Amino acid sequence: MRYEIPIGPIHPALKEPILLQLSVEGEEIKEVDVIASQNHRGIEWIGMNRNNPIQSLYIAERVCGICNISHPSALVLAVEEAMDLEVPERAQYIRVIQCELERIHSHLLWAGVAAHEIGFDSLLHYTWKVREKVMDILELVNGNRVTKAIMMYGGVRRDIKKEHIPKIRKMLQYYKEGFDKLAKFFLEDKTIEMRTRNVGILTKEDALKLAAVGPTTRASGVKKDVRQDQAYFAYPDFDVKAITPDMLTGKVVGDTYDRIVVRLLEVKQSVEIIERALDEMPGGEITSQPKIAKLLVDLKRADGEGIGRHEAPRGEVIHYVNLKSGFEPFYSWKIRAPTYNNIMSWIPMLKGCQIADVPIVAASIDPCISCTNRAIRIANGRKEMLSKEDLHRLSVEKTKKLMRGG
Amino acid sequence: MEELLKKLKERKIDFEIKEKEEGVKRKIARKTILIKIPRERLRETVKLLIDSSEDFPHFSVCSFTDYGKHVELNYHFTIDYGKPMEEENVVLRVTLKKDDLKVPTLTDLIPGTIISEREIKEMTGIEIENIPDGRHMFLTKDFPDGVYPWRRDETSPKETRKLYEVWK
Repeated sequence: MRYEIPIGPIHPALKEPILLQLSVEGEEIKEVDVIASQNHRGIEWIGMNRNNPIQSLYIAERVCGICNISHPSALVLAVEEAMDLEVPERAQYIRVIQCELERIHSHLLWAGVAAHEIGFDSLLHYTWKVREKVMDILELVNGNRVTKAIMMYGGVRRDIKKEHIPKIRKMLQYYKEGFDKLAKFFLEDKTIEMRTRNVGILTKEDALKLAAVGPTTRASGVKKDVRQDQAYFAYPDFDVKAITPDMLTGKVVGDTYDRIVVRLLEVKQSVEIIERALDEMPGGEITSQPKIAKLLVDLKRADGEGIGRHEAPRGEVIHYVNLKSGFEPFYSWKIRAPTYNNIMSWIPMLKGCQIADVPIVAASIDPCISCTNRAIRIANGRKEMLSKEDLHRLSVEKTKKLMRGG
Repeated sequence: MEELLKKLKERKIDFEIKEKEEGVKRKIARKTILIKIPRERLRETVKLLIDSSEDFPHFSVCSFTDYGKHVELNYHFTIDYGKPMEEENVVLRVTLKKDDLKVPTLTDLIPGTIISEREIKEMTGIEIENIPDGRHMFLTKDFPDGVYPWRRDETSPKETRKLYEVWK
């Protein structure tokens, strides 16, 4: 007997509402349907009709709160290609540092959420305590923890000052020393391994065909990373290598455990990139056009199109921009966030899993959405509400059961 | 890339290559291959792309521009990823007349295109032939028919400053 279980559509704590429609037989998930059309903010429409390109840069920052550097990064790349704008060397280095700081905080945030989803709340608190160090640095350098308004066409808006550098180095040292401890908690814990090994598998073939991006596809063994393949900003100087789980474990399974491995290794990689960027950072200007009014006139006169691709913590984000001379807003603007491509990989991942695995598998792609808010279980013709707490309880119970030995 | 270009020449499909310099100390050229094709040859070109790729072409997204009498669809792909600095962008550009808005589906060749095709369908009103799932993707179920937010003609939600006012 098959039952339909809707999970979603709105989670009050996270940004993007989504609905997962599961078809289950007993505990096993047989079919999955993803329904995204819960809330549309019309950001592209605003950028194409109402705002000028500089206003749109700030609204791009608000596409996603966690990866608030990623969307402006892709947008500045696209616009700089469209209007052929120079960027000073120092600005390119500052952009790299900002992007990598964001990757550290985003991956640690995710690791905490993943620990919480399987009922390991002490690890959640520990991970988020560790994450606070990078948040403090973000606040120190940018004046704000989340929306930082650092990107501008032709450069960046704020410099990294001399007095910031020792504090950033101290933070990097903290992460270098703490990495082994964090890796031990996540990768050597028997319970975490039981809950994540061979759960939510995405094969390499599926990852390629569904056009998955970021850690989701790298965990399946696809060596794909925009910073490596088509380097931009100052990334060509750093020889970034795409991280796959076999670098640590010697094999690629493509499961939730592998996604943890990839993200943890990327935190380490980001620390190394920031360290090198600080060593090699050239001096000079931070923007090629400090006068915003002049920039706006140039933007209005510009004619052309550009594609900007950036490796966000969740994967490739791409912006396409078309500028038409005499027309102030973008003539066309297409934003594609990484989760846009990754949500379809939930379907092969969730098939064959149990209901209690939904929170951790859904979280394993690090979606910009949360779905496990409430569900209605229709059993024997009776409607029952399953809240996020109930789903979480199911997940915690499964962990406890596994810890007792099945 | 060479194999793709060779195959394109064999089939007499025109293309142009754009380059943009990236990097600070180490300079690299970021290449974009722009292929302009009629709608009838879209599927053929995508098959070429699949055949000449080592792994599989990565489909990023499909973008849309309304030029008044005609519209333009850009299918953004990347090929040759996995090797440092060797990846290229491939853009397949299909131009359609306003009175004949139809393109074939690519979902049977590349399953990952389904989200983009559903999005194009609801945002622009272009009919995707043989699309396996034609439901709304991003706009809500009750969004009015015949209103297409990405268009720049009478079908766009014009008399409004906010998209959500379309419901009123």
